Parts: sequence; C-alpha cells; structure tokens
Amino acid sequence: MSGSDFLALSPLIALALTPLAVMVSIMIRRSHWAAAAAAIAGLVVSLVLLGAAANAAPRQVTPLIVVDAYSLFYTGLIAAATLAVVLLSYGYLELQTINREELYILLTAAAFGSAVLASSSHYASFFLGLEILSVPLYGLIAFLAARKRPVEAGLKYLVLAGASSSFLLFGMALIYFDLGAMSFGEIAARLGGASFALVVPGSVLILAGIGFKLAVVPFHLWTPDVYEGAPAPVTAFVATVSKGGMLALLLRYFYSSESRGLSPVMIVIAIIAIASMVTGNFLALLQDNVKRILAYSSIAHLGYMLVAFLAGGSEGAAAATFYVTAYFVTTLGAFGCVTVLSTRERDADRLEDYRGLFWRRPALAAVFSAMLLSLAGLPLTAGFIGKFYVVAAGAAASIWALIIILVVTSAIGLFYYLRVLFVMYERREPEAPEFAVLPAAGGGALAVLAVLLIWLGINPGPLVEMIRAAVAALI
Amino acid sequence: MLELLWLVPALPLASFAVLALFGRRMPDRAVAALGAGSIGASAAVSMLVAAAFLSNPPGGNAYTQVLWTWMSASGFEPQIVLRLDPLSLVMMLVVTFVSFLIHVYSTEFMAGDDGYSRFFAYMNLFVASMVTLVLAGDLLLLLLGWEGVGLCSYLLIGFWYRDPANGAAGQKAFIVTRVGDTAFLVALFILFTNLRTLDIQEVMRRALAEWPVGSGLAVASAALLLGGAVGKSAQLPLQTWLPDAMAGPTPTSALIHAATMVAAGVYLIARTHRLFILAPPVMTAVAVIGAATLLLAGFSALTQHDIKRVLAYSTISQIGYMFLALGVGAWASAIFHFMTHAFFKALLFMAAGVVINALHHEHNMFRMGGLRRRLPIAFWTFTIGGASLAGLPLITAGFYSKDRIIWDAWVSEGGGAGLWLAAILGVFLTSLYIFRAVFLVFFGEARTEIEKRPGAAIIVPLAVLSVLSIAGAWVPGFFSFLTPALPPFIEYHTGALTETISAVTAAGAFLFGLYLAYFFFHRRRDYAAAIAAAPLGRALHNWWFAGWGFDWLYGRVFVRPVEGMARVNRKDVFDPIYNGMAALAALCWKLLSGTQTGLLRRYAAGIAAGVIVLVAIALFL
Repeated sequence: MSGSDFLALSPLIALALTPLAVMVSIMIRRSHWAAAAAAIAGLVVSLVLLGAAANAAPRQVTPLIVVDAYSLFYTGLIAAATLAVVLLSYGYLELQTINREELYILLTAAAFGSAVLASSSHYASFFLGLEILSVPLYGLIAFLAARKRPVEAGLKYLVLAGASSSFLLFGMALIYFDLGAMSFGEIAARLGGASFALVVPGSVLILAGIGFKLAVVPFHLWTPDVYEGAPAPVTAFVATVSKGGMLALLLRYFYSSESRGLSPVMIVIAIIAIASMVTGNFLALLQDNVKRILAYSSIAHLGYMLVAFLAGGSEGAAAATFYVTAYFVTTLGAFGCVTVLSTRERDADRLEDYRGLFWRRPALAAVFSAMLLSLAGLPLTAGFIGKFYVVAAGAAASIWALIIILVVTSAIGLFYYLRVLFVMYERREPEAPEFAVLPAAGGGALAVLAVLLIWLGINPGPLVEMIRAAVAALI
Repeated sequence: MLELLWLVPALPLASFAVLALFGRRMPDRAVAALGAGSIGASAAVSMLVAAAFLSNPPGGNAYTQVLWTWMSASGFEPQIVLRLDPLSLVMMLVVTFVSFLIHVYSTEFMAGDDGYSRFFAYMNLFVASMVTLVLAGDLLLLLLGWEGVGLCSYLLIGFWYRDPANGAAGQKAFIVTRVGDTAFLVALFILFTNLRTLDIQEVMRRALAEWPVGSGLAVASAALLLGGAVGKSAQLPLQTWLPDAMAGPTPTSALIHAATMVAAGVYLIARTHRLFILAPPVMTAVAVIGAATLLLAGFSALTQHDIKRVLAYSTISQIGYMFLALGVGAWASAIFHFMTHAFFKALLFMAAGVVINALHHEHNMFRMGGLRRRLPIAFWTFTIGGASLAGLPLITAGFYSKDRIIWDAWVSEGGGAGLWLAAILGVFLTSLYIFRAVFLVFFGEARTEIEKRPGAAIIVPLAVLSVLSIAGAWVPGFFSFLTPALPPFIEYHTGALTETISAVTAAGAFLFGLYLAYFFFHRRRDYAAAIAAAPLGRALHNWWFAGWGFDWLYGRVFVRPVEGMARVNRKDVFDPIYNGMAALAALCWKLLSGTQTGLLRRYAAGIAAGVIVLVAIALFL
C-alpha cells in the first residue's frame, strides 16, 4: 500500500482507532468524561481527515475498499451522526450508576463497521463491515442490563441478525458459484447480458440481508421491539448509523452491478418499497408508544428512500442520499428529544409523557415539533425538501404507481405525527412533574440539529450540489 | 452599499425571532428598544441603499441580489432573490419609514399592555413580510411575503383575543382575504405551467413575447391576480373585512392601512403591470372597481359613528383612487398616491389613537367634542391629515397626488367623463366625511373627561407625519425616476377639459364638501339629524351605515346557505366515506399489529417466509 492509499483510508483508520483510544482511556482511569472525550476526539479527527482523503480520492485501496467522493460523504455522515449520538448519550448515561464508559467503545466500533459498508466494493468487505456493525449493536441494545426490556431486545436482535446474515451469506455463495467473482465491479462485468440461473435468487437473498438492516417489510418485525427496548440514544444510533452504511452499500452495489439487467430483483425491491410504505404508516397509526411510533415511521421512510433508489440514475441516487441526510438529522433530533426527557428509571416513551410538554418545556417541545413536521414532510424543513426530490426523481423516471403510493401513505402518516404534536400542546394542570435540567451536551446537539433541520429546509442548495458531485462517483 | 439590501427584511425578522423566543422575559424597555430599533435600523439601511441607488444607478436601473436557490428540480427553480428597482425602492422607503414612526408611537401607545412583547413581535414580522413582498424578485417569494402579511393581520386584528368579537374580526379578515389569495395562487399556477418560470421579470418578458394582447391566458391570469389584489386591498367585492379590522390596536390599524397590507394589492398590480396591459378588459375592470369602491366607501364613511370606522372606509375609498389610476394605466400616479396616503393615513390613525386613549377608549364621535383646546396636538395633526386626505388645494400633498389621478382618469385611453365624475364626486364625499369627523370630535361642547395626554414618543411621529402630509408631494423627479420600472402615462385625449379646469373643479368639490360639513355638523347639527330622521334619509343612512349591506348580502348568499346546508346535512352524507376510510385504516392497523407478537420464533418465521415469497416472485414473475 502506498502513501496515498493510507491517506485515502485515513478517515477509516481514525474511526478504527477510536474504540481503541476509548479502551486505553478506560484502562488508565475509569472516567465517563474522559471516555466520551476520547470518542469525540476520534470522531472529530476522522471528520477532519475527510478533507485530506478527498485529495487522494477516487482510489481503489485493495480489492476490498473504494474511497471516492460518495464513500467519503457517507463516512462523514456516519461520523457526524455518531458524534451526535455520543453527545446525547453522555447526559443520558450520567443518570445511570452502572459502568458506562464501554458504551463509547461499542458505538465507535459500530460506526466503523458502518463506514466500511459505505466504502466496500467486495463481498468480503461487505460481510466484514456488516458484522463489525452488528456485533457491537447486540451489546449496545442490551447495554442497560439491569432492565428487562433491553436484554430481551438485544437477544431478539442477535438471533434475527444472525439468521438474516446467513441468508446474505447464502446469497453471496450462490452468486459466487455462478459468476466466480466477489468484487462488485467484476460481478457487473461478468453479468453483462448473459443470464445466470442463480443470480436472481442469490440477489434476493442478499436483499434479505440488506433489508433486515434497513428494517423494511417483510424483514421489519424486530424493529418496534428493539427500538422500544434499546436505550434512547442507542435507538437513535440503530435508526440512523446502522441504516446509513447499508443504504450506501445498496446504492453502490446495484448501480455497479448494472441493476437494469436484473429486472426481477427490481420488482422485488418495488414490492418491498410499497409494503414498507403501507405497513409502516398503518402500524404507527394508533400506537401509544413514541419509540414504537418512530420505529414504524422509520420503516415507512426507508420505503420512501427505496422509491428514490428505484427512480435510478444520478437524480435517484442524489435524491436517496439527500433523503438519508435529512432523515439522519430528523431522526437524531426526534430520538434526541426522547433521550433528554428520559429519567434514571425509564425512557420517556409513552405518549402520556408528552402531554402538555409545550407548557412545561417550550423550547424542547418546539424542537420536537420541528422534527415531527420534518418527518411528516412539511415545507421549510429538511424532510420536505427530501420528499420533494424523491417525488421529482420518481416523476422523471415515470414510476407513477410508487409515487402515488408514497403520496397517499405520507398523508396517512400525517395523522400519527399530528397526534403526537396535538398531545404536546394540550393544556394540562400545572402539577405536572418537572423533568431534570437539559444536559448541556445533549441540549447543544439538539440545538444544532434543529438549526440544521430548518437550514436544510430553507437553503438546501449547497448540500444538493455536494451530493450531486458525490453520486457522480457511482455512475 | 447596495449589498446591504438583504438586511432590510432580515433585521425586522431577526428582531421578531428574538422577541418571540425571549420577549416574555425581557423588560418592556428592552422590548421597545428592540422592536422599534430594528425597524429604525431597517429604515436607515433602506435609505443608505436608496442613496447608493440614486447616486450611482446600477445597470438596467435595477439591482438584483440572489441570496440562494431554494430548490432545483426539473425546471422548477424558485430563487430567494431580492430585486431593487425604482418601484420597489419607493415602496421600500415608504414602508420602512412609516412603519418606523408607527413603531415609535406604539412604544408609548401600548405601554402597560399585557402582550407588549407579543405586540412588537407581530408588528416586526408584519414589516418583515411586507418588505419581503415588496423586494421579492420571484413570485414564490412574493407569495411568502403576501401570506406573511395575511397571517400578521390576523394575529394583530385579533390581538386582544380575550374578547371573542376581536377574534371574529381577525377570522373575518383572514377568511375574506383568503378568497383573493386563492385566486392569486391559481394565477401563479397558470403562469408557471405556461411560462415555465416564476421570476417576475422573466414572467413579464415571456408573457409579452408569447401572449398576444387580449389572449385568453393573459386575461385569465391578470383577472386572477386582480382577484388577489382586490382581497388584500379591500376593494369591491371583498372590502367587507377592513371596517371590522378596527378591532385591533390603533397602531395596527395605522400599519395595515398606511404602510403595509392594503398597499400590497396596489403594488401587485403595479409590479405585474405588463400582464394587465396584455388584458385590456381586466384593465377596465380595475378602473371600474376602483371608481365604484371609492364612491361606495365614501358614502359609507359619511354615516359612521366610530371614528376608526370612518377612517377605515376612507382607506377603502382612497385605495379605490389608486385602483382607478392603475386601471387607466397611470401606474406612477397610483404609487404617488400610495405614498402620500401612507403619510396622511398613518397620521390620521395615530391622531385618532391619541383621542381614543385620552377618552377612556371611546370610539363614538357623537360622544366626543370640544377637544380642539384640550387636545391641541390631536386637533392640529388630525386636521392636517384630514386636509391632506380631502385634498386641500395647493398646500397639501394629498391634493397633488389625487389631482393627478383625477386628471389621468379624464385623459387616459380607457378614461372619460364617467370615471372623472366619480373621482370628483369622491373628492366631495371625502371632504364632507372627514370634516364631519373634525367638527364632531374637536368642535362643539366637551362631553368627556380627558384621561391621558400624549408624550414625546407620540408627538414626534405625529409632527414628522404632519410635515410629510403637507410637503410629501414635493419629490422632484418622482415620475421620471419611476419611468424605467413603470411605463410613462400617455395622455390620449383632452376633450373639453384642461388640467386647470379639472383641478379647479376638484378644489370646488373640496370646498363644497367642507362647507356642507361645517353647516351640518357645526352650525346646524339639528338639520343633519333631521335629514337622517326623515324616512328616505333614514333608509339611506342605515343602508350606507351598514356598508351598503354587503355583510348582509354575503350573510344571505354565502353564510346562511352554507349554514343551512350544514343543518340539513347534519349527518353528513359524505361522512361515511371518510369515516369508512378512517375505520379501514384503523382496521389495517389492527390487522397489522397482529403481526407484532413480540415472539421471536414468529419474527424469524416471518423473515424466512418473506424470503421464500420474494424469491418465488423474482423467479416466476
């Protein structure tokens, strides 16, 4: 490997070293503050190194990893989102009495796995990245081991993730059997027009593995249980970072393997998208648990992203990527609000916890409202712009059935977002219990996310330009 | 200097944000300093920008500041762009400057009110929206300002929301203008689908190139824009909201009437004048609406008891003059009258506010009187404003601006004796009703005790506006300055009249109105009462008092039938459809929730089954 290879890999290397740094900090002296600081420092270094890596990109580093504008964009997104999760976790864990420093090891290790997924161009790195991401997640979800639900959620996730990984491996094996190649570029080259019996079932099996991580129908059943069971900041992580890397991979994999030649697979993805939009929105309708509402809503949002993916071309990839970014900001903000409202004993996940929130904590309620409106896709928020680009890309590709379903299910979705909003603004007797003071780190992260949300809603231009340049690397 | 343009809307907006978030915790003095100061700063920046524009006019006589592109997808590229040309420059200066004076006045007028910071937050947002509307270079941004103005008027009219009547007035304003807003929105759809852009200059250019004069699309879009303008500017047939809008605090009325909301319609037509030139029938409609409105509102103003309602009808009537000018193609005259009107109408409202505050919130003029000596400031300023409104010949600004419109109504291509006569009759009515108010309020015997006397923050703005109401028309080169933005007026035929005769007739009408007001409302009030008591007089009085019964008519034609239908259709026949959809959705939720068993074995089976089904679909479809 040459010097510029190292330079190109430097953000990933920084991410890989971050858990080690946290470990060292714990070894020296157990201090919550120091561990969080080490994690933040590692993530910031990785973000800073993105600039240096961009000079060396695009570059294929070993057959496994490709560093280009696209992978760097997603790596940056993942690192920034992890940073937000670390900040949110800090205040959340301060309330707990257990050993808390290990959470940062697991978080940063999983972030590294997700970044590897975004940069992989080979089945080996695909699978490695997936497992680096999954294994820490088991620990993260069950982190508050004294409570019953996190452990149950962690176990469920472990078993189902294992099962879906086996489908994924089997799919890879089928394709390798037929084509004799494992790198994405090679697979695309060998596919070239000729038909192979095992490629289509193999691709569907791989989709099962991808779909599990993205939590799309019919691989979504774990989502509400895990979202509800996991500690709130971890839920934010599961909802964003673990999906972002996988979505990056999905786009790259199918764009490079000449997706147009695999029309049965595209039909399957379309079915998955439709089922996700419909099921996700319907399931959330009368739900009374805010974390479960957000879980079902995330199923629907991944369905919207698949619509952008199916639109194809650079417009579709750009729309999907913008949507992911908007979804990251919004979801982190929404779970961030849940996080800062949570107490030592339990997470603030009941709808009742939010009744009259506006009259007790107006600023926090305003932020949460902004996040919900963005999820619903109302103008002046990032969510609106994201949905607008998805619909525009879909209309350009004339996939009208998907667009119509997207619009109709979004309208249904409005109901449950407004339901939460309505509850928050309800007048309630003043003897409501006061929650703890807003932790500085989490509050700061929320403020930044809220500003970002509005800013992207008003002036999305610079980000769109950046994304268009990044997805040009794909085509 | 020109680059500072974005600050003009940004400063009030920023101040709004601060007041909305932290206003309740700020002391009143800080609220006043920020609320009025931000508008003052905005006015100062406007003047700097204007000075730079005048001393060194940019190429094409317009300066465009593209702040950013909102989004860009398949040809739809709305930009956040500000455009400064002679038209928007005049509007911007008048809006920020008059608003600043009103804000200064408000700092004292609203002192002690519970919602002090809320009031300034709304007022700042109002000004920010109006400036956005005026400076917008793109119709979508203009719409943002337009809607912002509508929202703020709703919030401010219903400002004292504890009285349900005020809330109802706010809703009426919002709903009635909404009718016009819908027309405006449809116009935007037509323009965008046919011309593929919303940039104002580009829309005008393409319309001129692609649409022949009188073509269906041009007429339709101009008519719909007129619908929007009629709603915001309270012209026939959507004028009914403005008299009720008096429910808001007096500075709000001054702001709505003088500087912001009602001017929006006039500005919209002037801004898109090329579309109107392409649609001659709509031009005629504008002129006729203006003439009819100015007369109807003038008659109504004659019969009101409430001093603020007199002024409200007078606004409708004066905006009618502006529409008349627009309709005959005298674009610059309309803007000229807008400017002088902003000065004297703000002055009148603020002087009326002084009277009302001094008399325990008394609005009824028949319970006032003799205030000439006891509130000299209010007397002099109200009289100056009234004289300018009625067009006291030669010395007031209002005379010059109105006289121009009267003359234009005669000599323009679409004008003639009818429009001219209406305008002259309007002068007579204006003079009669405003001096009726002057005599009722300031002369005669005193009826109520004085409670409060105005302080410096009220007197200074009144003095400044008094000077402007007199001297405001003396702007050298006003019309030639506007020429690059608005086509010059063409005198088509002069006929039997000369400009001097027209002006003398207007002066005569003014004097006649003044004399009648003096005779009936000062010398022989019993005559006025007798006329109003006679059968015919009473019928007319009641009819005019109720604003020609438009509220009654709309109540019968729109509100009652809808209410009636609602009563008949209490068990809505369409309800089952929507309830059915809701029930279906709930059923789907229930069925799907059944899959969320929480049982791991079911989940694993679900994944496996899903894979099998999907593989089968992929293989056999």
